[in-house]
Amino acid sequence: MLIRKMSAVPAPSRVGSLWQQRMQAVREYEVVRDGNAFGAGFSHSFVYSSEYEEARRYLDTLLSRYRGMTIGEQFRGKEIVNDGGTCFSLESRQDLSPPAFDLDRFRTDLIEDLTLVHGIGPATRKKLIARGYHSIPDLLEHPLLRSPANRVLACLSEGDTAAIMDMIGNRHAKSHLSVLGTAGLHEPEDYVFVDIETLGLFSRPIILFGIGIIDNGQLVVRQFLLRDIVEEQAALTATLEHFSRDRPALVTFNGKSFDLPYITDRLAYYGMASPVRIPHFDVLHFSRRRWKDQFPSMRLAALEREILGVCRNDDIPGQMVPEFYETYQRTGNIGPLVPIVEHNRQDVISLALLFFHLLGESYGSQ
Amino acid sequence: MAVSDLIRLLNVNPVYRTRLVHMKATEPEPARYGLLDSPLSHSLDAYLEQNGIRLYSHQCEAINHARAGKNVILTTSTASGKTLAFNLPVFSQLEAHADSRALYLYPTKALSNDQLLTLEEMATFTGIAAKPAIYDGDTPQSKRSAIREHARIIISNPHELHQVLSWHAKWQPFFSNLEYIVIDEAHRYRGVFGSHIAFVIRRLLRICRYYGASPRFILSTATLANPCEFARHLTGQEFELVDNDGSPHGRKNFVLYNPFYDGISERSLHQETKDLLVSCVKEDLQTLCFTGSRKMAELVAVWARDDARRISEKLAESISVYRAGFLPEERRAIERQLKGGVMKGVVSTNALELGIDVGSLDAVIISGYPGTMMSTRQQAGRAGRKGGESLAVLVAQANPLDQYFMHHPDQFFDRSHEHAIIDTANPYIVSGHLLCAAAELPVNEETDRQFFGESLSGLLSELESDDLLRRTSRGWVYTGRGRAAEAVKLDGVPGETFRVMCHGRLLETLDRGQAYREAHKGAIMLHQGETFVVNEMDLETHTIRVTETDVDYYTQPLKEADLSIIGTLETRTVNGVRCAFGDVDVTEQYTGYKIKRGDTIIGLEPLSLPALTFRTKAFWFILPESTEQKVTGTGLDLAGGLHGAEHAIIALMPLHVICDRWDIGGLSSPAFGEDGEPAVFVYDAYEGGIGLAEKAFGILPDLFSSTYELVRDCPCESGCPSCIYSPKCGNDNQPLDKDATRLILKELSREPETNGSCSPCTSGREITVS
Repeated sequence: MLIRKMSAVPAPSRVGSLWQQRMQAVREYEVVRDGNAFGAGFSHSFVYSSEYEEARRYLDTLLSRYRGMTIGEQFRGKEIVNDGGTCFSLESRQDLSPPAFDLDRFRTDLIEDLTLVHGIGPATRKKLIARGYHSIPDLLEHPLLRSPANRVLACLSEGDTAAIMDMIGNRHAKSHLSVLGTAGLHEPEDYVFVDIETLGLFSRPIILFGIGIIDNGQLVVRQFLLRDIVEEQAALTATLEHFSRDRPALVTFNGKSFDLPYITDRLAYYGMASPVRIPHFDVLHFSRRRWKDQFPSMRLAALEREILGVCRNDDIPGQMVPEFYETYQRTGNIGPLVPIVEHNRQDVISLALLFFHLLGESYGSQ
Repeated sequence: MAVSDLIRLLNVNPVYRTRLVHMKATEPEPARYGLLDSPLSHSLDAYLEQNGIRLYSHQCEAINHARAGKNVILTTSTASGKTLAFNLPVFSQLEAHADSRALYLYPTKALSNDQLLTLEEMATFTGIAAKPAIYDGDTPQSKRSAIREHARIIISNPHELHQVLSWHAKWQPFFSNLEYIVIDEAHRYRGVFGSHIAFVIRRLLRICRYYGASPRFILSTATLANPCEFARHLTGQEFELVDNDGSPHGRKNFVLYNPFYDGISERSLHQETKDLLVSCVKEDLQTLCFTGSRKMAELVAVWARDDARRISEKLAESISVYRAGFLPEERRAIERQLKGGVMKGVVSTNALELGIDVGSLDAVIISGYPGTMMSTRQQAGRAGRKGGESLAVLVAQANPLDQYFMHHPDQFFDRSHEHAIIDTANPYIVSGHLLCAAAELPVNEETDRQFFGESLSGLLSELESDDLLRRTSRGWVYTGRGRAAEAVKLDGVPGETFRVMCHGRLLETLDRGQAYREAHKGAIMLHQGETFVVNEMDLETHTIRVTETDVDYYTQPLKEADLSIIGTLETRTVNGVRCAFGDVDVTEQYTGYKIKRGDTIIGLEPLSLPALTFRTKAFWFILPESTEQKVTGTGLDLAGGLHGAEHAIIALMPLHVICDRWDIGGLSSPAFGEDGEPAVFVYDAYEGGIGLAEKAFGILPDLFSSTYELVRDCPCESGCPSCIYSPKCGNDNQPLDKDATRLILKELSREPETNGSCSPCTSGREITVS
């Protein structure tokens, strides 16, 4: 190889910028042609190209609108301090009266469900009813079934929600209506509605925690926002505090597959203790069981539109939250945070409303 | 029919005799058995007895070290029973401690599968609950959780490990009880790839430390010049070396065979190889034939069968090709046939070198020098059943390296082993793994320094300023949007990845340099032995679209290059010549490509691709004025001489330093830089450098003298592929002047004349910025 000409050529010398470039190219969703839901393949998360373009334009708008503003100026909240450090806490409230739960009907449904007893299938149940056994207490008379029947009743009377959910879930399906019904064994104040926003699908920080609780006829949405990644530990700590009420019951949308394992993983990352196991109601599972034949999409956004009639303005697809937050990190402009916070807040609200809708449908007092 | 009969044939037959350059025989060696420091358990003893195994000295040595808690590296030959040397300590540990776990890392699926069978059989016989399982990219999701929980020996590969580490919380029971890490074929982890793996291993050890485990290593490699150094670079730990092979072998004959004994040949390498194979098979010798490519393997097999058919159909059927792409059942069938004696001749690519259990055979034919002594010995090591006489033949190609050996047999047989290089200081590699490590557990600047070296603090700050890390009270936390383990590719230094697609199906991925070089628009690409033509290269989406083709021509890119010296790190004077090592900036641009059929150029096409710029390490030398005058004074072409020297040096570099021909590049100029001095540069073809030029700089005297000998002794008139022609020259091997090259190399490799014109010998570190 002969050298033709000599010239000093600059070469990239900073490793950081090289990695940043690579990160820009990484996307955990595919942008597909509008209406082409199958374009991305079944296992891939996708965003319609019109939504994508609109969100990108919106990002530019936000950046100019909020240039120079601080978090304190835009968001109504305050800094909180705990063992994990500091983070930013926002709060909003709205009226919400949970439907009254018909506890008697629920209890009756359970004790009349003979198939809860180990060894009793649908055929056996028919025979037993024909022979006059109508409820599980009746089975205490039955020589062979006395013992397993006793186990079921003991479980029900002890009142440990998680144990009851497991028992029912093992005999039927984990998304069975009765499993949902066990939520009625709790007071509305016990429910902790959780939805998180993250920087990716896993092994990256959680940037926003959304918690919903019922307080005096209102739904209070508390959000813990990371103004900087160093605040993640504090936000985790603040979130965990909500798990340690008297009889907490966790309610999420797809939390069994995503939110809870994610939180557990981030706790392990920082060497913090795992949350104690508490009863967990995943509204996605119950929704799917209830509505899968009616609606093509089980996404929260779709269900809230169809069931709750909620219409969001200026919203962004959840998959684009990471790039919005990353823009905030890079530029310091708080504009991208606005839709993230609002998106998360609405997610928590819709989660709660959907949960109560399902509960009310089946076990609401007439 | 015996090996000795074939050897007699080689010496007597007029055709063979001219080509037989040299033969060396090693005397048979009886087995040397060893003693274990402490006895094995009853079940393991029974296992050995049942299989009629008595442990050799090296196996005992390795087992003793391992059980004493040391790290061991085993470099004995292929068929020396290395697998048992690591399975015994592992099983011993698993039997004695109910929680212990072991991790086995293999470079290929085939090896993983083979080892799984062996482990399962051992577990069944001994009753030790090892529960071995493979955990890799093909393991179904549904099985993964159970394997993590229950398998006590997990077989995997470094790529999977790289991904899995970010899930370490799920792996806690395994990592916290990890006692042994077994790495087989470890010499594969060298160069750029090896440097990446070295950090994957460091990340693994870091996570083990977090869970309170400190596993020991058992490494198995081919023979290296620097085994302990290599092991230390790969893992960061100190090792005991076991290299004295106690296994027995019969008389081994090694033949150097040169079809190009008179410089040029009428027949191709394929045909010459085929002839040898057929002769071996006719003599009823079970023969393994290694070739450089799948296509060649298939050709040789087909032609051999055709020849054999003239004798009998049965003989023809006893010859087969063996492809890495075969299904496991097909491979098993061939292996069984080999063991049963039904299959006499198997032709393969170097894939078979990878220890698949075909046992040992009577003869091995190596068609074309495989690139390293390590590979040569591994392949040749397949010849020799216990106690029997065996034969290995190296058939030379028409290229400088092969021909050099043919003309200097002593250089071949006395060849010291190559160095395996791993660079743990390349910032591009370290930084990527630092990001991965931070995503796994917060990085602690003090306690993690042992894994990342002195550059840790500097890299942390730099990565922070690019918003990829943040310092928190727990340590440095990963804050990137992309997944770190996805952004860090193990196959190369960061650059964008291009995807090669055929009808929507992903064939392979290339980095930008490879893509420009091998997959530009119009290029003919080989993939797993099949031929494709590149229809389109989309620079925006990094996609290359190819379709299958069946043409008889191939393409070769033309490259223009620029180079500038950024800083000199070291200088030395070798035989009166000023040599230096340092940082350079290289710009390469592919301007067009040649279309060739055989050796004939049938076309030339232009390309419009952007230039590639990278900073790397290089060594270079400036020709002394006296030499320059000698060259020009005798009417020889200075540029041609330098160019030829550059080619020859690059061709012979793999002799001294383990690298692939694509790992290095070169430039020469009769008038370089401001001073217009005649210079030759050799650089690492990777951003940041990978230690090759550095190593070569340390052994320049040897490199120069072997290169000189090559050119001096080549019988050609004015240059040929055997000496100064380079198959990858972007300038079309122009200009080249063999006489000038010979003169230059002669001056480089001998003591300077004492006439006052030599400069004092200097060797030291100096930083000059030009």
